Amino acid sequence: MDVRIPSAWMSLLFTNFNIKRMQKFMLIVREDLAELKRSGEEERFRRMRIMTAWAESLQESVNFLGGEPLELARRLVTRDQVLSDGPFIEAKEGISGYIMINAENIEQAAAIAQGCPLVQQGFLIMEVSPILLNNGC
Amino acid sequence: MDIVEVEVDKLYRDQFGKLLSALLRFSDDIDLEAAEDVVQDTFSAALVGWKMDGLPDNPAAWLYKVSRNRALNKIKEAKKFVKKNAGGGGDGVGGVDGIVGEDGFGEVEKEGKGAPIEDEQLILLFACAHPDLAPKVQVVITLKYVVNLKVEAIARILGLTIDGIDKMLTRARQKIRDERILFHEPSAAALKPRVQSVHKVLYLIFNEGYKSSWGKELIREELCEEALIMTRALCRSVVGDPETHALYALMLFNAARIKARFGRDGELLDLEEQDRSLWDQDLIRLAMVNLESAHGGVVSTYYCEAAIAGLHCAAERYGATNWNAIIRIYRQLLGLQANPFVELNYAIALYYSGDKVQALRILHELEKQAFLGRYYLLHASLGRIYAAEGNKGLAKEYLETTLRLTNAPDEIAFVRRLIKKVE
Repeated sequence: MDVRIPSAWMSLLFTNFNIKRMQKFMLIVREDLAELKRSGEEERFRRMRIMTAWAESLQESVNFLGGEPLELARRLVTRDQVLSDGPFIEAKEGISGYIMINAENIEQAAAIAQGCPLVQQGFLIMEVSPILLNNGC
Repeated sequence: MDIVEVEVDKLYRDQFGKLLSALLRFSDDIDLEAAEDVVQDTFSAALVGWKMDGLPDNPAAWLYKVSRNRALNKIKEAKKFVKKNAGGGGDGVGGVDGIVGEDGFGEVEKEGKGAPIEDEQLILLFACAHPDLAPKVQVVITLKYVVNLKVEAIARILGLTIDGIDKMLTRARQKIRDERILFHEPSAAALKPRVQSVHKVLYLIFNEGYKSSWGKELIREELCEEALIMTRALCRSVVGDPETHALYALMLFNAARIKARFGRDGELLDLEEQDRSLWDQDLIRLAMVNLESAHGGVVSTYYCEAAIAGLHCAAERYGATNWNAIIRIYRQLLGLQANPFVELNYAIALYYSGDKVQALRILHELEKQAFLGRYYLLHASLGRIYAAEGNKGLAKEYLETTLRLTNAPDEIAFVRRLIKKVE
Protein backbone atom coordinates (compact mmCIF):
# COMPACT_ATOMS: atom_id res chain seq x y z
CA MET A 1 0.00 0.00 0.00
CA ASP A 2 1.56 3.27 -1.10
CA VAL A 3 -0.53 5.58 1.01
CA ARG A 4 1.42 8.30 2.70
CA ILE A 5 0.19 10.13 5.75
CA PRO A 6 0.51 13.85 5.10
CA SER A 7 3.04 15.20 7.57
CA ALA A 8 0.90 18.32 7.86
CA TRP A 9 -1.55 16.32 9.97
CA MET A 10 0.74 16.22 12.87
CA SER A 11 0.80 19.99 13.08
CA LEU A 12 -2.91 19.62 13.69
CA LEU A 13 -1.90 18.72 17.18
CA PHE A 14 -0.47 22.16 17.77
CA THR A 15 -3.14 24.20 16.07
CA ASN A 16 -5.21 26.76 17.90
CA PHE A 17 -8.88 26.30 17.39
CA ASN A 18 -10.86 29.30 16.39
CA ILE A 19 -13.98 27.50 15.28
CA LYS A 20 -17.15 29.54 15.27
CA ARG A 21 -18.86 28.52 18.46
CA MET A 22 -22.53 27.89 18.45
CA GLN A 23 -24.58 29.13 21.35
CA LYS A 24 -25.19 26.89 24.37
CA PHE A 25 -28.72 26.13 25.47
CA MET A 26 -30.26 24.33 28.39
CA LEU A 27 -33.37 22.30 27.76
CA ILE A 28 -35.17 22.03 31.06
CA VAL A 29 -37.26 18.90 30.96
CA ARG A 30 -40.62 19.09 32.69
CA GLU A 31 -42.99 16.23 33.19
CA ASP A 32 -45.78 15.06 35.40
CA LEU A 33 -43.71 13.78 38.33
CA ALA A 34 -46.66 12.11 40.05
CA GLU A 35 -47.40 10.19 36.87
CA LEU A 36 -43.70 9.36 36.48
CA LYS A 37 -43.61 7.98 40.03
CA ARG A 38 -46.71 5.87 39.43
CA SER A 39 -45.47 4.50 36.11
CA GLY A 40 -42.51 2.82 37.81
CA GLU A 41 -38.84 2.04 37.17
CA GLU A 42 -39.38 -0.01 34.02
CA GLU A 43 -41.17 2.84 32.27
CA ARG A 44 -38.63 5.35 33.50
CA PHE A 45 -35.81 3.26 32.01
CA ARG A 46 -37.72 2.92 28.77
CA ARG A 47 -37.95 6.70 28.51
CA MET A 48 -34.26 7.06 29.33
CA ARG A 49 -33.40 4.71 26.48
CA ILE A 50 -35.44 6.90 24.13
CA MET A 51 -33.54 9.93 25.45
CA THR A 52 -30.23 8.13 24.87
CA ALA A 53 -31.14 7.40 21.27
CA TRP A 54 -32.21 11.01 20.80
CA ALA A 55 -28.98 12.26 22.40
CA GLU A 56 -27.07 10.02 19.98
CA SER A 57 -28.81 11.66 17.03
CA LEU A 58 -28.00 15.10 18.49
CA GLN A 59 -24.37 14.13 18.90
CA GLU A 60 -24.27 13.19 15.23
CA SER A 61 -25.42 16.68 14.29
CA VAL A 62 -22.81 18.13 16.70
CA ASN A 63 -25.55 19.56 18.90
CA PHE A 64 -25.32 17.38 22.03
CA LEU A 65 -23.25 18.49 25.01
CA GLY A 66 -24.63 16.47 27.90
CA GLY A 67 -27.52 16.03 30.24
CA GLU A 68 -28.89 14.11 33.18
CA PRO A 69 -32.24 13.04 34.50
CA LEU A 70 -33.04 13.97 38.12
CA GLU A 71 -34.19 11.68 40.89
CA LEU A 72 -37.67 12.19 42.20
CA ALA A 73 -36.67 13.16 45.77
CA ARG A 74 -37.18 16.90 46.36
CA ARG A 75 -36.83 19.48 49.08
CA LEU A 76 -38.28 22.93 48.72
CA VAL A 77 -36.36 25.47 50.72
CA THR A 78 -37.69 28.88 51.76
CA ARG A 79 -36.43 31.36 54.33
CA ASP A 80 -38.32 29.71 57.15
CA GLN A 81 -38.73 26.09 56.31
CA VAL A 82 -37.75 23.04 54.36
CA LEU A 83 -40.63 21.29 52.65
CA SER A 84 -40.31 17.73 51.44
CA ASP A 85 -42.36 16.10 48.68
CA GLY A 86 -45.67 17.74 49.35
CA PRO A 87 -47.02 20.44 47.10
CA PHE A 88 -44.50 20.46 44.30
CA ILE A 89 -44.51 16.73 43.64
CA GLU A 90 -48.26 17.02 43.12
CA ALA A 91 -47.74 19.74 40.55
CA LYS A 92 -48.59 18.75 37.00
CA GLU A 93 -45.15 19.64 35.74
CA GLY A 94 -41.97 19.25 37.67
CA ILE A 95 -38.41 19.38 36.46
CA SER A 96 -37.25 15.84 35.72
CA GLY A 97 -33.93 16.52 34.07
CA TYR A 98 -31.93 18.72 31.76
CA ILE A 99 -30.15 18.48 28.42
CA MET A 100 -27.41 20.80 27.22
CA ILE A 101 -27.13 21.46 23.53
CA ASN A 102 -25.39 23.65 20.99
CA ALA A 103 -27.54 25.51 18.49
CA GLU A 104 -27.35 28.35 16.01
CA ASN A 105 -30.04 30.39 17.74
CA ILE A 106 -33.03 29.99 20.05
CA GLU A 107 -35.33 29.15 17.11
CA GLN A 108 -33.14 26.24 16.17
CA ALA A 109 -32.74 25.15 19.80
CA ALA A 110 -36.52 25.12 20.17
CA ALA A 111 -36.92 23.24 16.90
CA ILE A 112 -34.39 20.66 18.09
CA ALA A 113 -36.20 20.26 21.43
CA GLN A 114 -39.45 19.78 19.61
CA GLY A 115 -37.92 16.92 17.70
CA CYS A 116 -37.45 14.88 20.89
CA PRO A 117 -39.65 11.78 20.54
CA LEU A 118 -40.84 12.07 24.16
CA VAL A 119 -42.00 15.62 23.46
CA GLN A 120 -43.73 14.41 20.32
CA GLN A 121 -45.49 11.67 22.24
CA GLY A 122 -46.63 14.14 24.89
CA PHE A 123 -44.72 12.57 27.81
CA LEU A 124 -42.86 15.75 28.61
CA ILE A 125 -42.35 19.36 27.67
CA MET A 126 -39.15 21.34 27.50
CA GLU A 127 -38.23 24.86 28.40
CA VAL A 128 -35.49 26.15 26.13
CA SER A 129 -33.14 28.87 27.30
CA PRO A 130 -29.76 30.19 26.15
CA ILE A 131 -26.98 30.06 28.73
CA LEU A 132 -26.14 33.61 29.76
CA LEU A 133 -22.59 34.57 28.94
CA ASN A 134 -20.57 37.34 30.42
CA ASN A 135 -20.35 39.82 27.58
CA GLY A 136 -18.36 42.36 29.49
CA CYS A 137 -21.13 44.64 30.69
CA MET B 1 -42.18 1.74 -17.83
CA ASP B 2 -42.07 2.99 -21.39
CA ILE B 3 -39.45 5.34 -22.74
CA VAL B 4 -41.41 8.50 -21.87
CA GLU B 5 -41.93 7.41 -18.27
CA VAL B 6 -38.25 6.57 -17.91
CA GLU B 7 -37.26 9.96 -19.29
CA VAL B 8 -39.74 11.87 -17.11
CA ASP B 9 -38.57 9.96 -14.07
CA LYS B 10 -34.96 10.82 -14.79
CA LEU B 11 -35.79 14.47 -15.47
CA TYR B 12 -37.77 14.63 -12.26
CA ARG B 13 -34.72 13.62 -10.26
CA ASP B 14 -32.32 15.86 -12.17
CA GLN B 15 -34.44 18.91 -12.72
CA PHE B 16 -37.12 19.27 -10.06
CA GLY B 17 -35.04 21.34 -7.67
CA LYS B 18 -33.45 23.36 -10.45
CA LEU B 19 -36.83 24.22 -11.96
CA LEU B 20 -38.11 25.14 -8.52
CA SER B 21 -35.16 27.32 -7.70
CA ALA B 22 -35.30 29.01 -11.12
CA LEU B 23 -38.99 29.82 -10.66
CA LEU B 24 -38.45 31.26 -7.21
CA ARG B 25 -35.64 33.45 -8.38
CA PHE B 26 -37.59 34.50 -11.46
CA SER B 27 -40.24 36.37 -9.54
CA ASP B 28 -40.82 37.60 -6.01
CA ASP B 29 -44.49 36.88 -6.44
CA ILE B 30 -44.33 33.16 -6.31
CA ASP B 31 -43.80 31.29 -3.07
CA LEU B 32 -42.39 27.86 -2.55
CA GLU B 33 -45.68 26.04 -2.34
CA ALA B 34 -47.05 27.61 -5.52
CA ALA B 35 -43.77 27.00 -7.34
CA GLU B 36 -43.83 23.36 -6.25
CA ASP B 37 -47.37 23.01 -7.62
CA VAL B 38 -46.34 24.55 -10.92
CA VAL B 39 -43.33 22.26 -11.32
CA GLN B 40 -45.41 19.24 -10.33
CA ASP B 41 -48.12 20.18 -12.87
CA THR B 42 -45.49 20.70 -15.54
CA PHE B 43 -44.21 17.17 -15.01
CA SER B 44 -47.75 15.77 -15.18
CA ALA B 45 -48.34 17.69 -18.39
CA ALA B 46 -45.06 16.41 -19.78
CA LEU B 47 -45.98 12.82 -19.05
CA VAL B 48 -49.35 13.09 -20.79
CA GLY B 49 -48.22 15.34 -23.63
CA TRP B 50 -45.05 13.43 -24.48
CA LYS B 51 -46.89 10.11 -24.54
CA MET B 52 -49.13 11.54 -27.27
CA ASP B 53 -46.65 13.62 -29.26
CA GLY B 54 -43.36 11.96 -28.43
CA LEU B 55 -40.36 13.49 -26.66
CA PRO B 56 -39.47 17.08 -27.58
CA ASP B 57 -35.98 17.80 -28.91
CA ASN B 58 -34.82 19.17 -25.59
CA PRO B 59 -37.07 17.86 -22.83
CA ALA B 60 -35.38 19.87 -20.07
CA ALA B 61 -35.76 23.14 -21.98
CA TRP B 62 -39.40 22.22 -22.58
CA LEU B 63 -39.89 21.85 -18.85
CA TYR B 64 -38.29 25.21 -18.14
CA LYS B 65 -40.40 26.97 -20.75
CA VAL B 66 -43.68 25.38 -19.73
CA SER B 67 -43.13 25.81 -16.02
CA ARG B 68 -42.25 29.46 -16.47
CA ASN B 69 -45.31 30.10 -18.62
CA ARG B 70 -47.49 28.40 -16.07
CA ALA B 71 -45.93 30.44 -13.31
CA LEU B 72 -46.52 33.63 -15.30
CA ASN B 73 -50.15 32.71 -15.80
CA LYS B 74 -50.51 32.01 -12.14
CA ILE B 75 -49.04 35.35 -11.21
CA LYS B 76 -51.19 37.18 -13.78
CA GLU B 77 -54.23 35.47 -12.37
CA ALA B 78 -53.34 36.86 -9.00
CA LYS B 79 -53.20 40.26 -10.73
CA LYS B 80 -49.99 41.23 -9.07
CA PHE B 81 -47.48 40.45 -11.69
CA VAL B 82 -44.24 42.20 -11.04
CA LYS B 83 -41.45 41.11 -13.21
CA LYS B 84 -38.24 40.96 -11.32
CA ASN B 85 -35.82 41.19 -14.19
CA ALA B 86 -37.33 43.91 -16.37
CA GLY B 87 -35.82 43.84 -19.83
CA GLY B 88 -34.24 40.47 -19.28
CA GLY B 89 -34.47 37.46 -21.46
CA GLY B 90 -37.29 37.21 -23.90
CA ASP B 91 -38.44 33.90 -25.10
CA GLY B 92 -35.46 32.27 -26.60
CA VAL B 93 -36.12 28.91 -25.07
CA GLY B 94 -38.26 26.72 -27.24
CA GLY B 95 -36.53 24.06 -29.25
CA VAL B 96 -33.07 25.20 -28.30
CA ASP B 97 -30.68 22.36 -28.08
CA GLY B 98 -28.00 22.64 -25.48
CA ILE B 99 -27.41 22.83 -21.81
CA VAL B 100 -30.56 23.82 -20.04
CA GLY B 101 -28.90 26.01 -17.49
CA GLU B 102 -28.02 28.34 -20.33
CA ASP B 103 -31.55 28.58 -21.65
CA GLY B 104 -34.55 30.33 -20.26
CA PHE B 105 -34.02 31.57 -16.76
CA GLY B 106 -30.34 30.96 -16.80
CA GLU B 107 -30.08 33.50 -19.57
CA VAL B 108 -32.09 36.07 -17.69
CA GLU B 109 -29.94 35.69 -14.63
CA LYS B 110 -26.66 35.89 -16.40
CA GLU B 111 -27.50 39.41 -17.50
CA GLY B 112 -27.43 40.35 -13.85
CA LYS B 113 -24.35 41.04 -11.78
CA GLY B 114 -23.12 37.50 -12.15
CA ALA B 115 -23.94 35.21 -9.30
CA PRO B 116 -20.98 33.81 -7.43
CA ILE B 117 -22.70 30.46 -7.51
CA GLU B 118 -24.34 29.60 -10.76
CA ASP B 119 -25.48 26.17 -9.78
CA GLU B 120 -29.17 26.35 -8.90
CA GLN B 121 -28.78 23.27 -6.80
CA LEU B 122 -26.16 24.85 -4.58
CA ILE B 123 -28.26 27.96 -4.04
CA LEU B 124 -31.15 25.76 -3.04
CA LEU B 125 -28.83 23.88 -0.71
CA PHE B 126 -27.95 27.11 1.08
CA ALA B 127 -31.61 28.04 1.36
CA CYS B 128 -32.39 24.67 2.95
CA ALA B 129 -29.71 25.15 5.61
CA HIS B 130 -31.85 27.83 7.25
CA PRO B 131 -30.42 28.48 10.75
CA ASP B 132 -33.85 28.55 12.40
CA LEU B 133 -34.58 24.97 11.40
CA ALA B 134 -33.48 21.87 13.30
CA PRO B 135 -30.69 20.01 11.49
CA LYS B 136 -33.02 17.07 10.95
CA VAL B 137 -35.54 19.30 9.19
CA GLN B 138 -32.74 20.84 7.12
CA VAL B 139 -31.85 17.32 6.04
CA VAL B 140 -35.46 16.51 5.15
CA ILE B 141 -35.98 19.60 3.00
CA THR B 142 -32.59 19.16 1.34
CA LEU B 143 -33.50 15.59 0.42
CA LYS B 144 -36.82 16.86 -0.92
CA TYR B 145 -35.74 19.97 -2.83
CA VAL B 146 -32.09 19.43 -3.66
CA VAL B 147 -31.77 15.65 -4.00
CA ASN B 148 -35.36 15.49 -5.28
CA LEU B 149 -36.41 12.42 -3.33
CA LYS B 150 -40.09 11.69 -2.94
CA VAL B 151 -41.61 12.03 0.52
CA GLU B 152 -42.10 8.25 0.80
CA ALA B 153 -38.41 7.63 0.12
CA ILE B 154 -37.34 10.23 2.67
CA ALA B 155 -39.62 8.70 5.28
CA ARG B 156 -38.15 5.27 4.68
CA ILE B 157 -34.56 6.47 4.80
CA LEU B 158 -34.94 8.50 7.98
CA GLY B 159 -37.27 6.06 9.72
CA LEU B 160 -40.03 8.67 9.95
CA THR B 161 -43.69 8.57 8.97
CA ILE B 162 -44.92 10.27 5.79
CA ASP B 163 -47.24 12.28 7.98
CA GLY B 164 -44.32 13.44 10.13
CA ILE B 165 -42.37 14.51 7.04
CA ASP B 166 -45.37 16.43 5.71
CA LYS B 167 -45.66 18.31 8.99
CA MET B 168 -41.96 19.20 8.91
CA LEU B 169 -42.29 20.39 5.31
CA THR B 170 -45.26 22.60 6.09
CA ARG B 171 -43.39 24.33 8.88
CA ALA B 172 -40.19 24.58 6.91
CA ARG B 173 -41.96 26.10 3.88
CA GLN B 174 -43.01 29.05 5.99
CA LYS B 175 -39.38 29.74 6.81
CA ILE B 176 -38.31 29.34 3.22
CA ARG B 177 -41.11 31.64 2.07
CA ASP B 178 -39.27 34.49 3.77
CA GLU B 179 -35.93 33.25 2.58
CA ARG B 180 -34.22 36.01 0.65
CA ILE B 181 -31.39 33.82 -0.58
CA LEU B 182 -33.73 32.14 -3.00
CA PHE B 183 -35.14 35.28 -4.49
CA HIS B 184 -32.08 37.38 -5.04
CA GLU B 185 -28.76 36.89 -6.64
CA PRO B 186 -26.83 35.55 -3.68
CA SER B 187 -23.42 37.06 -3.17
CA ALA B 188 -20.59 35.11 -1.61
CA ALA B 189 -20.82 37.39 1.43
CA ALA B 190 -24.48 36.50 1.92
CA LEU B 191 -23.78 32.78 1.67
CA LYS B 192 -20.62 32.59 3.76
CA PRO B 193 -22.24 32.67 7.22
CA ARG B 194 -24.29 29.68 6.27
CA VAL B 195 -21.49 27.44 5.02
CA GLN B 196 -21.19 25.63 8.35
CA SER B 197 -24.88 24.75 8.37
CA VAL B 198 -24.56 23.48 4.82
CA HIS B 199 -21.59 21.33 5.84
CA LYS B 200 -23.63 19.81 8.62
CA VAL B 201 -26.53 18.98 6.29
CA LEU B 202 -24.16 17.30 3.84
CA TYR B 203 -22.44 15.42 6.67
CA LEU B 204 -25.78 14.17 8.01
CA ILE B 205 -26.97 13.09 4.57
CA PHE B 206 -23.77 11.15 4.03
CA ASN B 207 -24.14 9.52 7.44
CA GLU B 208 -27.71 8.50 6.71
CA GLY B 209 -26.39 6.69 3.68
CA TYR B 210 -23.45 5.20 5.54
CA LYS B 211 -25.14 4.00 8.73
CA SER B 212 -24.40 0.37 9.24
CA SER B 213 -27.64 -0.37 11.05
CA TRP B 214 -29.52 -0.37 7.76
CA GLY B 215 -27.47 -2.94 5.91
CA LYS B 216 -26.77 -2.93 2.23
CA GLU B 217 -29.65 -1.02 0.74
CA LEU B 218 -28.99 0.45 -2.66
CA ILE B 219 -30.72 3.77 -2.00
CA ARG B 220 -28.31 4.34 0.88
CA GLU B 221 -25.24 4.18 -1.29
CA GLU B 222 -26.95 6.63 -3.63
CA LEU B 223 -27.39 8.96 -0.69
CA CYS B 224 -23.63 8.81 -0.01
CA GLU B 225 -23.04 9.57 -3.68
CA GLU B 226 -25.39 12.56 -3.63
CA ALA B 227 -23.63 13.94 -0.58
CA LEU B 228 -20.25 13.46 -2.27
CA ILE B 229 -21.41 15.19 -5.45
CA MET B 230 -22.83 18.16 -3.58
CA THR B 231 -19.75 18.48 -1.39
CA ARG B 232 -17.47 18.36 -4.40
CA ALA B 233 -19.54 21.08 -6.07
CA LEU B 234 -19.23 23.17 -2.90
CA CYS B 235 -15.45 22.63 -2.83
CA ARG B 236 -15.24 23.98 -6.36
CA SER B 237 -17.49 26.98 -5.75
CA VAL B 238 -16.27 30.30 -4.39
CA VAL B 239 -17.83 29.71 -0.98
CA GLY B 240 -16.07 26.41 -0.43
CA ASP B 241 -13.38 26.70 2.27
CA PRO B 242 -10.78 24.42 3.90
CA GLU B 243 -13.51 22.94 6.10
CA THR B 244 -15.39 21.88 2.96
CA HIS B 245 -12.29 19.99 1.86
CA ALA B 246 -12.03 18.37 5.29
CA LEU B 247 -15.63 17.23 5.04
CA TYR B 248 -15.06 15.96 1.51
CA ALA B 249 -11.97 14.07 2.71
CA LEU B 250 -13.94 12.51 5.56
CA MET B 251 -16.64 11.31 3.17
CA LEU B 252 -14.09 9.93 0.72
CA PHE B 253 -12.20 7.97 3.39
CA ASN B 254 -15.45 6.36 4.46
CA ALA B 255 -16.68 5.83 0.90
CA ALA B 256 -13.40 4.07 0.13
CA ARG B 257 -14.32 1.37 2.65
CA ILE B 258 -17.97 0.92 1.63
CA LYS B 259 -17.43 -2.34 -0.28
CA ALA B 260 -15.52 -3.95 2.57
CA ARG B 261 -18.06 -3.27 5.30
CA PHE B 262 -20.15 -6.35 4.72
CA GLY B 263 -19.08 -9.98 4.53
CA ARG B 264 -20.06 -12.69 2.07
CA ASP B 265 -23.37 -13.31 3.78
CA GLY B 266 -24.17 -9.63 4.14
CA GLU B 267 -22.97 -9.57 7.73
CA LEU B 268 -21.53 -6.39 9.20
CA LEU B 269 -17.73 -6.42 9.52
CA ASP B 270 -15.70 -4.20 11.79
CA LEU B 271 -12.39 -2.55 10.90
CA GLU B 272 -10.42 -5.52 12.18
CA GLU B 273 -12.31 -8.04 10.06
CA GLN B 274 -12.50 -6.06 6.83
CA ASP B 275 -10.54 -7.20 3.79
CA ARG B 276 -8.35 -4.14 3.28
CA SER B 277 -7.57 -5.08 -0.32
CA LEU B 278 -11.19 -4.09 -1.06
CA TRP B 279 -10.58 -0.54 0.09
CA ASP B 280 -10.60 1.83 -2.85
CA GLN B 281 -7.07 3.23 -3.02
CA ASP B 282 -8.03 5.90 -5.59
CA LEU B 283 -10.63 7.32 -3.23
CA ILE B 284 -8.17 7.18 -0.34
CA ARG B 285 -5.59 9.10 -2.37
CA LEU B 286 -8.20 11.69 -3.36
CA ALA B 287 -9.18 12.01 0.29
CA MET B 288 -5.55 12.57 1.30
CA VAL B 289 -5.25 15.37 -1.28
CA ASN B 290 -8.38 17.03 0.08
CA LEU B 291 -7.17 16.73 3.63
CA GLU B 292 -4.00 18.50 2.60
CA SER B 293 -6.14 21.26 1.05
CA ALA B 294 -8.03 21.50 4.32
CA HIS B 295 -4.84 22.21 6.17
CA GLY B 296 -4.34 25.76 7.33
CA GLY B 297 -8.00 26.50 7.74
CA VAL B 298 -10.05 26.33 10.89
CA VAL B 299 -9.65 22.94 12.53
CA SER B 300 -13.16 21.55 12.46
CA THR B 301 -14.68 18.39 13.81
CA TYR B 302 -14.67 17.17 10.21
CA TYR B 303 -10.94 17.74 10.00
CA CYS B 304 -10.37 15.65 13.13
CA GLU B 305 -12.74 12.92 12.02
CA ALA B 306 -11.16 12.85 8.57
CA ALA B 307 -7.68 12.64 10.08
CA ILE B 308 -8.77 9.69 12.23
CA ALA B 309 -10.42 7.94 9.27
CA GLY B 310 -7.27 8.66 7.26
CA LEU B 311 -5.03 7.05 9.85
CA HIS B 312 -7.19 3.91 9.69
CA CYS B 313 -7.03 3.96 5.89
CA ALA B 314 -3.26 4.36 5.95
CA ALA B 315 -2.72 1.27 8.11
CA GLU B 316 -1.75 -1.72 6.02
CA ARG B 317 -3.14 -4.10 8.62
CA TYR B 318 -5.31 -3.57 11.65
CA GLY B 319 -2.30 -4.35 13.84
CA ALA B 320 -0.37 -1.53 12.17
CA THR B 321 -2.90 1.15 13.12
CA ASN B 322 -1.25 4.23 14.59
CA TRP B 323 -3.37 4.38 17.75
CA ASN B 324 -1.14 6.93 19.42
CA ALA B 325 -1.80 9.47 16.68
CA ILE B 326 -5.49 8.60 16.77
CA ILE B 327 -5.85 9.23 20.49
CA ARG B 328 -4.10 12.57 20.16
CA ILE B 329 -6.61 13.61 17.51
CA TYR B 330 -9.46 12.38 19.70
CA ARG B 331 -8.18 14.69 22.44
CA GLN B 332 -8.44 17.59 19.99
CA LEU B 333 -11.90 16.48 19.00
CA LEU B 334 -12.92 16.45 22.66
CA GLY B 335 -11.76 20.04 22.86
CA LEU B 336 -14.06 20.94 19.98
CA GLN B 337 -17.01 18.75 20.77
CA ALA B 338 -16.91 17.53 24.35
CA ASN B 339 -19.67 15.03 24.87
CA PRO B 340 -19.92 11.50 26.26
CA PHE B 341 -20.22 9.90 22.82
CA VAL B 342 -16.84 11.28 21.75
CA GLU B 343 -15.41 10.22 25.13
CA LEU B 344 -16.56 6.69 24.43
CA ASN B 345 -14.68 6.61 21.13
CA TYR B 346 -11.65 8.16 22.78
CA ALA B 347 -11.68 5.46 25.46
CA ILE B 348 -11.85 2.69 22.83
CA ALA B 349 -8.86 4.20 21.01
CA LEU B 350 -7.05 4.48 24.34
CA TYR B 351 -7.57 0.78 24.97
CA TYR B 352 -6.05 -0.17 21.62
CA SER B 353 -3.15 2.22 22.14
CA GLY B 354 -2.30 0.17 25.23
CA ASP B 355 -3.62 2.41 28.00
CA LYS B 356 -6.06 -0.18 29.26
CA VAL B 357 -6.44 1.18 32.79
CA GLN B 358 -7.43 4.67 31.71
CA ALA B 359 -9.71 3.30 28.98
CA LEU B 360 -11.67 1.14 31.40
CA ARG B 361 -11.84 3.94 33.95
CA ILE B 362 -13.52 6.24 31.40
CA LEU B 363 -15.88 3.54 30.17
CA HIS B 364 -17.04 2.65 33.68
CA GLU B 365 -17.54 6.36 34.44
CA LEU B 366 -19.76 6.64 31.37
CA GLU B 367 -21.66 3.57 32.48
CA LYS B 368 -22.74 5.40 35.63
CA GLN B 369 -24.50 8.10 33.62
CA ALA B 370 -28.25 7.59 33.29
CA PHE B 371 -28.38 8.14 29.55
CA LEU B 372 -25.05 6.67 28.46
CA GLY B 373 -25.54 3.73 30.79
CA ARG B 374 -28.30 2.65 28.45
CA TYR B 375 -26.33 3.12 25.28
CA TYR B 376 -25.83 -0.13 23.37
CA LEU B 377 -22.44 0.81 21.95
CA LEU B 378 -21.01 1.42 25.41
CA HIS B 379 -22.01 -2.08 26.50
CA ALA B 380 -20.84 -3.57 23.21
CA SER B 381 -17.45 -1.89 23.65
CA LEU B 382 -17.06 -3.08 27.23
CA GLY B 383 -18.07 -6.58 26.09
CA ARG B 384 -15.42 -6.62 23.40
CA ILE B 385 -12.74 -5.27 25.68
CA TYR B 386 -13.44 -7.84 28.39
CA ALA B 387 -13.48 -10.56 25.73
CA ALA B 388 -10.05 -9.38 24.57
CA GLU B 389 -8.89 -9.38 28.19
CA GLY B 390 -10.04 -12.97 28.53
CA ASN B 391 -12.78 -12.18 31.06
CA LYS B 392 -15.48 -14.35 29.52
CA GLY B 393 -18.05 -13.80 32.25
CA LEU B 394 -18.07 -10.01 32.13
CA ALA B 395 -17.77 -10.03 28.34
CA LYS B 396 -20.90 -12.13 28.01
CA GLU B 397 -22.77 -10.04 30.52
CA TYR B 398 -22.08 -6.80 28.67
CA LEU B 399 -22.82 -8.27 25.25
CA GLU B 400 -26.11 -9.67 26.42
CA THR B 401 -27.09 -6.27 27.81
CA THR B 402 -26.23 -4.84 24.38
CA LEU B 403 -28.80 -7.13 22.78
CA ARG B 404 -31.50 -5.70 25.01
CA LEU B 405 -30.58 -2.14 24.03
CA THR B 406 -30.64 -2.27 20.23
CA ASN B 407 -33.28 -3.16 17.65
CA ALA B 408 -31.19 -2.99 14.50
CA PRO B 409 -31.06 -6.50 12.93
CA ASP B 410 -27.53 -6.15 11.55
CA GLU B 411 -26.17 -5.06 14.89
CA ILE B 412 -28.00 -7.82 16.75
CA ALA B 413 -26.47 -10.35 14.36
CA PHE B 414 -23.05 -8.75 14.89
CA VAL B 415 -23.31 -8.95 18.69
CA ARG B 416 -24.59 -12.55 18.51
CA ARG B 417 -21.45 -13.42 16.56
CA LEU B 418 -19.33 -11.79 19.26
CA ILE B 419 -21.11 -13.77 21.97
CA LYS B 420 -20.49 -16.98 20.06
CA LYS B 421 -16.79 -16.15 19.81
CA VAL B 422 -16.62 -15.59 23.55
CA GLU B 423 -18.21 -18.97 24.22
